[in-house]
Amino acid sequence: MTCLCFLCVSRDYDELSSIMAVCIAVIAKENYPLYIRSVPTQNELKFHYTVHTSLDVVEEKISSVGKALADQRELYLGLLYPTEDYKVYGYVTNSKVKFVIVVDSSNTSLRDNEIRSMFRKLHNSFTDVMCNPFYIPGDPIQSKAFDSMVSAMMVQAC
Amino acid sequence: MSVPDYMQCAEDHQTVLVVVQPVGIVPEEQFFRIYKRIVSVGQVSVRDSQRQLYIRYRHHYPPENNEWGDFQTHRKVVGLVAVTTCATAKEWPQTSDRFHAMKEVYGSTLYDSRLLVFGLEGEIAEQQRTDVAFYPSYDDCPDVERRVEDFVESIFIVLESKRLDRATDKSGDKIPLLCVPFEKKDFVGLDTDSSPVSLLLGVKRHYKKRCQGRMRKHVGDLCLQAGMLQDALVHYHMAVELLRSVNDFLWLGAALEGLCSSSVIFHYPGGTAGKTGARKPSVSQAADAGKRHRPGAQEVLIDPGALTTNGINADTSTEIGRAKNCLSPEDIIEKYKEAISYYGKYKNAGVIELEACVKAVRVLAIQKRAMEASEFLQNAVYINLGQLSEEEKIQRYSVLSELYEIIGFHRKSAFFKRVAAMQCVAPTIPEPGWRACYKLLLETLPGYSLSLDPKDFSKGTHRGWAAVQMRLLHELVYASRRMGNPGLSVRHLSFLLQTMLDFLSDQEKKEVTQSLENYTSKCPGGMEVITLPDGMKLPSVPFTKLPIVRSVKLLNLPVSLRPHKVKCLLGQSLSSKSPFIYSPIAMHTRGDERCKKIEFQWVRGDVCEVQLMVYNPMPFELRVENMGLLTSGVEFESLPAALSLPAESGLYPVTLVGVPRTAGNITVNGYHTSVFGVSSDCLLEGLPAVKTSGCMVEVVPSLPRLQLSTSLPRSAHPTSEDLSSSVSLQLFNGESQQLTITLENIGAENLETLELTSKTLSTKEKLLGKFLSWDLQEALSHLPLKPGQSLAIPVCIQVKLDFSGQESLLQDLNDDGISVTGLSISSPLRQVLKSRAENKTAGTEPGKSEYNHVKSLDAVLNFKYSGGAGHVEGYYRELCLGVHVDVEPSVFFTRVSTLPATSTRQCHLLLDVFNSTEHELTVSSKNNQDLLLHASECQRMAIQVDKFAFENVLVPRVEDPSVQEHFTSPRQLEEQRLHAQGRLINSTLNIHWSIPSLLRQGEATVEGVLNQLVLDHLQLAPLQWDVLVNGKPCDCDAVAEWRVGEPVTLEVRLTNHSRTAVGPFALSVVPFQDYQNGVHNYELSDTVTFIGSNTFHINTVDPTESSVYRGALLFLYTGDFYLNIKFQDDRSGRELPAAWFCLPSVHIRALESPIENGA
Repeated sequence: MTCLCFLCVSRDYDELSSIMAVCIAVIAKENYPLYIRSVPTQNELKFHYTVHTSLDVVEEKISSVGKALADQRELYLGLLYPTEDYKVYGYVTNSKVKFVIVVDSSNTSLRDNEIRSMFRKLHNSFTDVMCNPFYIPGDPIQSKAFDSMVSAMMVQAC
Repeated sequence: MSVPDYMQCAEDHQTVLVVVQPVGIVPEEQFFRIYKRIVSVGQVSVRDSQRQLYIRYRHHYPPENNEWGDFQTHRKVVGLVAVTTCATAKEWPQTSDRFHAMKEVYGSTLYDSRLLVFGLEGEIAEQQRTDVAFYPSYDDCPDVERRVEDFVESIFIVLESKRLDRATDKSGDKIPLLCVPFEKKDFVGLDTDSSPVSLLLGVKRHYKKRCQGRMRKHVGDLCLQAGMLQDALVHYHMAVELLRSVNDFLWLGAALEGLCSSSVIFHYPGGTAGKTGARKPSVSQAADAGKRHRPGAQEVLIDPGALTTNGINADTSTEIGRAKNCLSPEDIIEKYKEAISYYGKYKNAGVIELEACVKAVRVLAIQKRAMEASEFLQNAVYINLGQLSEEEKIQRYSVLSELYEIIGFHRKSAFFKRVAAMQCVAPTIPEPGWRACYKLLLETLPGYSLSLDPKDFSKGTHRGWAAVQMRLLHELVYASRRMGNPGLSVRHLSFLLQTMLDFLSDQEKKEVTQSLENYTSKCPGGMEVITLPDGMKLPSVPFTKLPIVRSVKLLNLPVSLRPHKVKCLLGQSLSSKSPFIYSPIAMHTRGDERCKKIEFQWVRGDVCEVQLMVYNPMPFELRVENMGLLTSGVEFESLPAALSLPAESGLYPVTLVGVPRTAGNITVNGYHTSVFGVSSDCLLEGLPAVKTSGCMVEVVPSLPRLQLSTSLPRSAHPTSEDLSSSVSLQLFNGESQQLTITLENIGAENLETLELTSKTLSTKEKLLGKFLSWDLQEALSHLPLKPGQSLAIPVCIQVKLDFSGQESLLQDLNDDGISVTGLSISSPLRQVLKSRAENKTAGTEPGKSEYNHVKSLDAVLNFKYSGGAGHVEGYYRELCLGVHVDVEPSVFFTRVSTLPATSTRQCHLLLDVFNSTEHELTVSSKNNQDLLLHASECQRMAIQVDKFAFENVLVPRVEDPSVQEHFTSPRQLEEQRLHAQGRLINSTLNIHWSIPSLLRQGEATVEGVLNQLVLDHLQLAPLQWDVLVNGKPCDCDAVAEWRVGEPVTLEVRLTNHSRTAVGPFALSVVPFQDYQNGVHNYELSDTVTFIGSNTFHINTVDPTESSVYRGALLFLYTGDFYLNIKFQDDRSGRELPAAWFCLPSVHIRALESPIENGA
């Protein structure tokens, strides 16, 4: 979206080369963020917008696949949409909690499988959070374990 | 071509373009009125044929777009309608010139034109011209539509002729090459005919095919415009084949798009633009496609079969069946994709590509294939049209937003709309369009699940993405401020604060409130609904979270002001609800708990209170001003309060007050506040989190209000909550005190009735005599008491407690071994006293204080009063005054005993009086000398008293024995009797004490110390004996004198005052002489002789009767004689008390016979 220049912040490519994901978000069933984390160098709000708009595609994908094969539906939604700078991937749990991972589109080394495994890790960690009896479902996630897992995913060298 | 038409859709391919423009000075308003009327002619059924002609009107069209008219004929301006004002004939030539100049602009493509002249009348107007129409004014032009229809028909004729001309062009050898503007220079000099030598044969054939293909496509366009869908499809198919073979990609794209367009028109007769109103759905198009295939005779010429003879190689097209001509919905998309990919090869065809994308998206939206549509849109986003003006950018983003909206991607749509809004005020724009920006921002609200109605956020969890919502709200605030509408800014900022409070950081909270305060200083926020120019309504934003109210509780009036209902004889409350006294089925009224009526009542005109528990969620001190109640049902004067809540205050009680001005049912609906300059009305029904125990309460008519003051000081600590005030005082036992109670009417109503009752609170102490006594008559004479007036009621407080009951005290004091006639020898108490006598010394004892007990008495004086309208309704108020008295012992009697007096009707009462005070004290009784007692001194006083006829006291009770037997235990009966007797004795004795040093005095009572034995002694015997000597009563010490030798009549009268019959008795009279030395001489048979018997027999004497017995004595010698009257009870089984037979002894002195004197 080059045309939306006033929303974009010039990127530092050197830094991004070692970053797997630039933004990871967990979104509640009711489509509000439970957790969102982005690389600190960039405008956080931009990622809010990116993830927020990606929900349109997520919803479209769920509704189009959903009805018939609700049980066997694959959780991984694949690439939601590519922008000039980023690729947005989606994943929906059976309880309709959405995970969104934004990766830099210059990062060509990432394969679909790797994205899948990232989502799987995210899902496992999220399950751990939900198992915490002190966590109230629907509240923002403040778990340290979850946080560190996400940071690991974001800075992991390729 | 640089200006894309984002509104294009597939069916626009079948329209002809007509430009409507003003000439000269035409008021905009008038022009658009006429324009609208012209536009209404959007679809014309052409005469003589079933074909429809669709017209697309534009009031502005860039001429450079017109140059693409050969490429796609719907881009070609074929008609021009000019609107002009011409007031005088003089102006006419000039106007006419201008019209011609305008025609020049589109001259190359125009089929026909019209000029509508308004305002011109006269000679010129009368001339009949086909291309000019004259109307006297803008209001008087009835046949504009008809004129336009004629005009359209003339266009159709030209169009049809062109179509036929092209289609039947059989020349074959010379088909001109149609070009788009940017191609023109490429083909310069590429004239095949002029230089056949220079070209290879292949190139020539190639060129020819290209010409044929392009022409075929052009014919397709014309057919489509002329309403011949099937023919168009055939031509497009052929064009595709031709152009594909020569790799003429731009035109191939156009041919494919034409194919798509015609298929779309076939499949979706309703149109894809979504504006169904403009286009009449031509049902016939799809249904009658087959039949309609050849509406006119000329169409034979366009038969695909015929076309093969036209010199255009169309070997494949012959196989194309008519049904197959049309693309399937899936194919349409495929072909669009293909076309767009071909367009994409040419940088200069960006606009075409963009428009194709837009058209495809609209088709996909109809097919409900959102994902694919989004891909087309994504592609459209990246199409670079070179330098766009700001306005074009805004338009582009708006259109993208709209397209995303129609495919259901609301968030994306909102995103682009917001981008468009930001574009309106981009720093590069010299005059930022804040209004437009604001308007666009408002349109993004649904995409972010924002509604601007705080009610939507009050229930349940927060909806939507707070971070982006907050951003949007900030932008709205900023835009509205820049628009110069601070009211809007305040409203948006309030909304932000109210709904996003949980998501704001402390710093942000501070900033937001600060700017809110800045705005409200210019424009205070209120509760009114703000209506925007476009009709959107911004509901008010009450600050229900600043502060947060946790509970609302209506408070009862203070006890003294509560109204009470005079009890109705019929249990109204029972009869109204249920016939059952108790039912286990609970009334399920949980739902309307708020409407539940509260038990207590408020009174009109009195200040009523509602308690709110509030909480300040802000990290700084919150100043709430003008906080008051919102009520309905009753006129209510709310008295607003201002409060300041500390940061993160925790629950904080706030009491809101008000005065109901009329009677009825009042409902507390909510409260209003003013925070940061925004006043808000917070209704409870919108706040499910607020706990309340009911909000409706009855207001009863006004009642008077009394203020109570007393002559005695009030006690510091009221003994009970229910008491409005209380007095406490200290009294010695037996003392009395006057208390004056002043009641002042401080209300607004007259005091009409007043009742006073008292209640002694349950106490272990036995109270002797009346504690509180008063006379209300004097006070009642002042009624009705007007407001401001007061009345006084004297109340006498008298304390008489029994301190003698303290055993230990008795034991300590009975140390002197004084014989107690009152106690029988065998009394156990007596034994104890005796044994302790040795080690006690009278008077000063160190442990004095231990028996100096203080007892307390409590009573409540209860004033019931009423008046005014409330009195009529049967309400009254109660005022309670507590009276607390600490009673110190004064004097009490440690022991009582009796000594018989000389008369049988009297006796001596011996009282041991003990002064338990620390002061010197005098005791006086009815007819005795004062007795001085030092502190803690005990002395005996003797009082001669007449015996009492206790029966008289008890008479009223005895009369109804059945009642007593049934309802009172014998014990109680006995107590009552004792009590009555004690009172009688007490009042007769009338013992007073006084402490001269303190100037206090009081009564002392013996009631407590009386025992049965003493009472028996004090009782007048029920058998009353009277002895009469010679008819004179003889008693005690009186000496009856009589002469010797004369018979003395002796009369004994027995009167029975007892309750039972007595007798029979045997009575004997024995005379004796007392020698005063202890020797009684009974041997008097020779000195005294009886006349008759000396023994009487008395038969049974019934109660209240009497019997008289007479005898006579004869004294033979002088001397002092005594008569001893003895009697025997005949019936041995019955024991009557000895006191009953207390008979007087008779003393007779026999004197010398007067005969001697006389002798």
